[in-house]
Amino acid sequence: MQIKFEQFAAASMLGSADSPPRDNGDILFQRPWEGRAFGMAIALSKKGHYEWEDFRQGLISSIAEWEATHCKDDPDWDYYLRWLASLESLVLESSLVSEEELEERTRQMLVEANETST
Amino acid sequence: MTENVDRETYSAARVRALESLLIEKGIITSETVDKVIDFFEKDMGPFNGARIVAKAWIDPAFKERLLADTPSAIAEMSFPRGMAGAEGENMAAVANTPDVHNLIVCTMCSCYPWPVLGLPPYWFKDPTFRARAIREPRKVLKEFGLDVSESVEVKVWDTSAQIRWFVLLERPEGTEGWTEEQLAAIVTPESMQGAARVVVPA
Repeated sequence: MQIKFEQFAAASMLGSADSPPRDNGDILFQRPWEGRAFGMAIALSKKGHYEWEDFRQGLISSIAEWEATHCKDDPDWDYYLRWLASLESLVLESSLVSEEELEERTRQMLVEANETST
Repeated sequence: MTENVDRETYSAARVRALESLLIEKGIITSETVDKVIDFFEKDMGPFNGARIVAKAWIDPAFKERLLADTPSAIAEMSFPRGMAGAEGENMAAVANTPDVHNLIVCTMCSCYPWPVLGLPPYWFKDPTFRARAIREPRKVLKEFGLDVSESVEVKVWDTSAQIRWFVLLERPEGTEGWTEEQLAAIVTPESMQGAARVVVPA
């Protein structure tokens, strides 16, 4: 059987520190941005912009970094923030986007978010 | 720059910034990302397997066909693309009976029946679990909170690329008169691996 890249990617994370939160066999996205970050990371690797294993290793170290400075049951824990941090650094490292561009665009998005919420 | 903005707003903006830049540069399209998300949300869930089990509970003739020739029985159902085809083609259902309890184990996630069961639980890939499940299935099941009576035989099935097993569990008591939909809602992926009982909500 051929397995899809998405299945391979999800399977590679199971049983490890980087395994995403799940419920009853489903991967859970609680906030819309989690799904986008998840989808982007897989899509970029699927398209060959980096090796999936490199993303995983980044995620594992990003989780380890957090754990080194927090208690395991710290309610501040947020899996998808770790995910986002590793995605960002890999995207910057692979020179897909520059840090300046990302900072500038984030500022614009924050201004937009602020305008729509008020 | 994050001090004045709450973390949620910042993260959402950061993700949008990243995606918009990648799209602008022609590196990805938003459809690519949508497709990945859709795959996890719609195509890979365990609800496909739950529907198969529920149908077998309601329709004895279907149950018979399912056990005799799993792929063609699954093909009768209108599943999303890929379900009944290549990915489900070497699946086989084994039925629990009052005398037999089935448990599925596997060493590689690539032979897990994804289209039917969704993502395997975290312990499924663990080599220790597999080895122990084969050696002392009763004890392992007990650790999962499933006490199988001594009079019931426990059969362990090693799933492989050739045959991907899943368990057709027994319909629980207290579900008389339920619709197929109601029944499907209580079937979990772990129960279709034989590692949990179906819980009927009070």
